[in-house]
Amino acid sequence: MNNRFAFNPENFGLPTREELVELRIWDLHYHGINNHETVMKYVSRMGVERVFSLDIGRLWGNSPEAETISERDRQLLRENKDNLAGLIRIDPSRVEESLERMREWIQNGPAVGIKYANRNQEDINCSHPNNDPIIELADQLGALIYIHTWILVGGEPRTIDGGMKTGESTPMDVAELAKRFPDVTLICGHQGGDWEPGIRAIRAFENVFLEFSGGDPESGAVDFAVQEMGVDRLVWGGHLPSRSYANELSKVFDADLNHEERKKIFGSNLRQIAVPIMREKGYDV
Amino acid sequence: MNRRRFIKDTLLLAALATPVQVWKGTHSDKEVVYSTNDTLPTGQGLIDTNIHLFPYPFRELKYGDTGRLLAKLKKHNVTEAWAGSFYSLFHKNIDHINASLAEECRTKGEGMLIPFGTVNPVFPDWEEDLRRCHERHEMPGIRLYPGYHGYTLDNDHFVSLLQEASARKLLIQIAIDIQDERMQHPRVDVEAVDVTPLAEVLKDLPGARVQLINPFRHVRGERLKTMIEETDVRFEISNLDNTAAIELILKGEHPYVSSVPLPAERLLFGSHMPYFPLENGVFKFMESDLSQDEAEAIMYRNASELKEYT
Repeated sequence: MNNRFAFNPENFGLPTREELVELRIWDLHYHGINNHETVMKYVSRMGVERVFSLDIGRLWGNSPEAETISERDRQLLRENKDNLAGLIRIDPSRVEESLERMREWIQNGPAVGIKYANRNQEDINCSHPNNDPIIELADQLGALIYIHTWILVGGEPRTIDGGMKTGESTPMDVAELAKRFPDVTLICGHQGGDWEPGIRAIRAFENVFLEFSGGDPESGAVDFAVQEMGVDRLVWGGHLPSRSYANELSKVFDADLNHEERKKIFGSNLRQIAVPIMREKGYDV
Repeated sequence: MNRRRFIKDTLLLAALATPVQVWKGTHSDKEVVYSTNDTLPTGQGLIDTNIHLFPYPFRELKYGDTGRLLAKLKKHNVTEAWAGSFYSLFHKNIDHINASLAEECRTKGEGMLIPFGTVNPVFPDWEEDLRRCHERHEMPGIRLYPGYHGYTLDNDHFVSLLQEASARKLLIQIAIDIQDERMQHPRVDVEAVDVTPLAEVLKDLPGARVQLINPFRHVRGERLKTMIEETDVRFEISNLDNTAAIELILKGEHPYVSSVPLPAERLLFGSHMPYFPLENGVFKFMESDLSQDEAEAIMYRNASELKEYT
């Protein structure tokens, strides 16, 4: 597929593909691994340089299906080092298994980080003490630590977080974890969904970065994040394929940023924290 | 020769006369080919069918000021925008809101802003509000907020409103939501609009011209399939998401409705400015691999034709 566009983006106030390429965009939130070849056509089309899959080795256990997926993921990571890296999922309700997976996939394998998902087996969120050995090992390995967060309105009476599902972490949970590990970089995913309270919850913790994919592109959100956290703690995710690069790019282009600030959010900040472990894994970065 | 045929012929001639520009990508072996919008009719830009003026009740928006909003629209080559008023969500003196919307568009819109007033059919004497929208303010359509105004689409008053508005040849926009309900203020619990009854209602109103705005967070699956197959409803695209969203929904391969294609003629560009960034809507045309004809239909032609109906 050629990158054929129905119009010149410049004529509608958008960056050209070449300008997107020049921004050196690294996408920390990629869910396209199950349809990788097809989704990557659009990654290339939009000039994104590298994606980080958050679904590496997704199935646990020794079932034939799990082993097939794990082997597929290893192969994809091996053969696509120029544009793909990966994080594995851990489960704080299964600490020993999580540690074992980290040794297998990160210490002795190709993965470069861990992801906390929005649910786990026993509804343990990221502020629970169970997480301490996981974070300690991740720190020793120099692994990226990505934490899905959301703040869901609901409950009776309704409060900003009264609708939370058990096991799903909030930015307030990330803040609790950040207090216990002030020297470990944590990435608070989805800006907590409800970004106004979400950013407030983590802004005081210099070791917490913010990733803001997955929600609607509400104008002003990135401006607010930069105002409260500074431009150096923001990293970008695309959330393909269930979200779009249109959705996620627009959040940054909506913000009042200069070119260098955009480059930081789109990739430089992530490179600062990801390159050491990537070089250990043999990535030419 | 009808207008559409005229436009197509014009485009074809212009395309023949204007070579495409070609650049080589810098980090990919893929060739990059941009068409140029020189092939659009002179002066033609985007028609944005979904913007709002005035303050959003829960946040100060950076493009909430009409002047700033207008400048932003122009920057992205929007030449016409259909504007509702955020005051419509909660104010009860609707006629006053509609009058101020019309005045704002007239005095500050530089001819680009087209007012779409609102009518609440469960308020007494809504018929007069509708009459004023049409006759006094000369609006081409109305924008309804059933979720905020507290009625469902099988409500008898709503059906009467559709009949009256259709008799006046007014476009009828129905806002399915305004905000992701997961992030609503805890003291406000607005449900998204359930479109299920609409297909049956519209069977008795073949002349109605209905457009759903912000539809795709909730109008998915069977609901969307029904709307596509059993109605002539049009869809605004600001919250049509997913990778290559427009391309896939035209092919009938989109996760929102994978069993049936949604024809380009049924999609209209909208940005949901100033709540969403304008770039969100425009980037969709870059992300999807579309023919120029498909892109132009959605970017402006469908809206232009729909408005001509009024």
